[in-house]
Amino acid sequence: MSIRVKDLVFSHKNFSLEVSDFSFDSGKVTVIVGPNGAGKTTFLKCLGAVLSIPKNAVMIDGQDLAVLKARERARLISYVPQEQDSAFNYSVGDFVLMGRAGYLSPFALPSKQDFAAANEALDYVGLRRFAERSIGELSSGERRLVLIARALAQNSDILLMDEPTTFLDPKHETEVLNLVRKLAGERKKTILVALHSLEMAVVYSDVLVFMKQGKIVASGPPAEIFEARLLENVYEMKIRVIDWDGRKVVIR
Amino acid sequence: MSGQANSRQKILTIVILSLPFILFLFSLAIGTYDISPGKVIRTIASVWHPHSRQDLIAPYRDILFRIRIPRLLLAMAIGAALSVSGASLQALFKNPLVNEYILGISSGAAFGAALSLVFLGRAFPPQIAAFFFALLAVGAVLLISGRTESHFISLLLTGIIVTAFFSALLSLVEFFASPYVLQSLFFWLMGSLSLASWKDLSISLPLIGVGLSVLLLLRWRLNVLSLSDEEARSLGIHLRREKLLVIGAATLVTAAGTSVVGIIGWIGFIIPHLVRLMFGVDNRRVIPMSAVMGASVMLVADDLIRGLSSFEIPIGIFTSLVGIPLFLLLLKKTKKVWL
Amino acid sequence: MFFTVLSLGLFPDSATGQKQEFLLKDQLQRSIVIPARAEHILSLQPEITRLLLALGAADRLVGVDYFIHRNDHLFKLIHPAGADLPVVSQPDGSVNKEMIARLAPDLIFLSPTEQQVPDAIERSLGIPVAALASMGRFSGLLEELELVGRLVGKEERARELVHYFREKVRVISETIGALEETERPKTYLAFWSSLIRTPVFYDPVTVAGGQNVADRLLPSRLGTASAVINLEQIIKWNPDVILIHGSYPPRERRVTVEGILADRRLGSVRAIKDRQVHYTLGFWYWWDPAGVLVETLYLARLFHPEKFSALDLGREGEAIYEKFYGRTGIFRALMKILEFDEWTSK
Repeated sequence: MSIRVKDLVFSHKNFSLEVSDFSFDSGKVTVIVGPNGAGKTTFLKCLGAVLSIPKNAVMIDGQDLAVLKARERARLISYVPQEQDSAFNYSVGDFVLMGRAGYLSPFALPSKQDFAAANEALDYVGLRRFAERSIGELSSGERRLVLIARALAQNSDILLMDEPTTFLDPKHETEVLNLVRKLAGERKKTILVALHSLEMAVVYSDVLVFMKQGKIVASGPPAEIFEARLLENVYEMKIRVIDWDGRKVVIR
Repeated sequence: MSGQANSRQKILTIVILSLPFILFLFSLAIGTYDISPGKVIRTIASVWHPHSRQDLIAPYRDILFRIRIPRLLLAMAIGAALSVSGASLQALFKNPLVNEYILGISSGAAFGAALSLVFLGRAFPPQIAAFFFALLAVGAVLLISGRTESHFISLLLTGIIVTAFFSALLSLVEFFASPYVLQSLFFWLMGSLSLASWKDLSISLPLIGVGLSVLLLLRWRLNVLSLSDEEARSLGIHLRREKLLVIGAATLVTAAGTSVVGIIGWIGFIIPHLVRLMFGVDNRRVIPMSAVMGASVMLVADDLIRGLSSFEIPIGIFTSLVGIPLFLLLLKKTKKVWL
Repeated sequence: MFFTVLSLGLFPDSATGQKQEFLLKDQLQRSIVIPARAEHILSLQPEITRLLLALGAADRLVGVDYFIHRNDHLFKLIHPAGADLPVVSQPDGSVNKEMIARLAPDLIFLSPTEQQVPDAIERSLGIPVAALASMGRFSGLLEELELVGRLVGKEERARELVHYFREKVRVISETIGALEETERPKTYLAFWSSLIRTPVFYDPVTVAGGQNVADRLLPSRLGTASAVINLEQIIKWNPDVILIHGSYPPRERRVTVEGILADRRLGSVRAIKDRQVHYTLGFWYWWDPAGVLVETLYLARLFHPEKFSALDLGREGEAIYEKFYGRTGIFRALMKILEFDEWTSK
């Protein structure tokens, strides 16, 4: 499943995103980092065609994402938003079930198959026991997992995750990111994650992408590109990177 | 939810589902003209086994078949239509407080029907103009307020403005209408089931049926549509098409109902609330249960009007009198919050 | 239902001892001080306007309402100059206050059922406003006649007309004679272009020897002129006669004789089985004093044909209208406009 970006431009108010040429490796975890307002979320939304994109800007296996039907798109790519604030307090099970919308015509009701897919997704994230509980009762960490479960129920090969670990405590942060790696490894999914935490980005990514002011300024395996000068450039502040127990730690 | 609560829900579901049928039968015996349940049964049976005294039961037959049954059917249809349209719009606009009245749909429909009745006469079905202007109203609200995800206050304000606009237009129609036509508008504007005849029903019932069927089929889809636009899109929903479908169907049933009975404003808001309190927010249950509850509440309200006095009291008053205490009672009992 | 309670007290002017003002209690229970004589009257109540015409006091009118100007069948026939009178009100019930101020009437008449609030008008213009109507009672009509007669200094003429009216009624009553309850045909009045809206009080029916089935509906205290009933009630009453509000022009009638006879919901009702569904004049923004007399005669003949076989309604009608308005051909014109063939066919 190859994702190829070519001349992707998106403007909104004072901000514009410009990615002229980029490819994502399939089966890998690509992490996108950058300061606030760099365009991470916008980029992800464009990649998922959640925002309207120009023709031929995003090609999935040679197919132009912009012209695909919504349902076909949903089966290829799923998008996990950063926050979820539903007006209605659905049960966890019903919520995850919504991920099956791409497989159903507007007038259809979910079938046994769809229920199975939803249950399986909940199993995978370890929250099956919460199926009857309502979303509002869960902690934010658990809610994130439910969002991921819904994306899993979509059964797409590509997952886009927008800052899934923001505001989570370290334990839950690790849980979510471990799940991401598991998905890439076990299920061979192509995962694009926008992250805030640089340390985590280094540890969990196969490919690291730095964004600044709507452009990609650097990309590559973290071991190769993660170094102080690049960071200083992107974040515009004094940064030092040290090795600690085999891990990279960022000191400001 | 434990297994016990589940079986409790099942019982509740069965009770509620059977309510309209029971109420319908019960309501046949209610009315100014005393027809005891026994007489009701005999009169209905006389369709297949002609009665020996046809002249004696003639008033019973006329009343049951030409007055009460069409009126009861209309009451159920309206109740179901307004409740389901309210629930659907709440899902679409991602807000449990939305209803067809504040979006201006009712006012647009009322204006359209009045316009049609005044200038095209009773022969021309007012449902067409009602539907057209109801769509115009909701379209205006959407256009002005931006998107369905707008902050509720801005949606409310826009709805109020559009409602006020169509009310003003309605006053204009009344102003230019001859006093003769105005008299016949009088009842209809009050919001009344008194004029329910098979002729009126012959157009509105099928339209309501079509709209309700569409919304019923879309009931699971409404769950997904109640998520943010971005989420819905990423889940594979063709937003524009499906939103238009929901709005179209909700507007159709509201317009078809308003054309015959005038504006009855409270039902589309309170019934879905009650249903959510009892059955949760999953629209697979909310939609059909709203239809059933709406039909039942309308029947009860109309029974009270018909049973308590010989006067025709506008039903809008009664829907409030029945609906509000019911809501408060349920709220107190379960102490649940729907959000 | 209201009684027309007009309590007239006279306030003598302290200096000259002359009668300057009346204290009047109108149908909205308002006590108004009105001048003893009114030279300029603004009548927004067509019934009062017609009384002024009958009294020969049309010259006191400074302005009229939209209804008598736009919709009345006979106003311009009886009083051609009336077409030029300023029209001060609008169909929605609002009045042009500036115009009223310019016309400077001594007194304004309104209908008690109109929306505009008499007190507000009185306060803002400082002109006494009286809300009067017959409300379906002969006594109300005659009291109005006397009051207006006194106001315009035509007491003599008012007395004459009241006497004429009472005589006609007396003759009808005598011809009918004493009646048992069962001898009075039960009558349902389908008024105001609706099958289910009916006046609770309608004297012509009672005087003509019939019985308005709706007259026990509301206690008289409430004072409403009409009631909206549900359809089943009509079937329950099972009237012998149904009278339709026929003052609506034939093209504009929403409720028609053919319509009711063909209404299958009412098939079991006696009136429909006997085909006793007829047009009557009814209110046309309250009454025309001549019209309501003719109507009573028509109804008397309808209810008790054997007692009124000698009645020539056409001739009687002409005579009554001529008595009130001093012109011939008015009744004939009205019959033509309303296409009341049945009334004059005999």
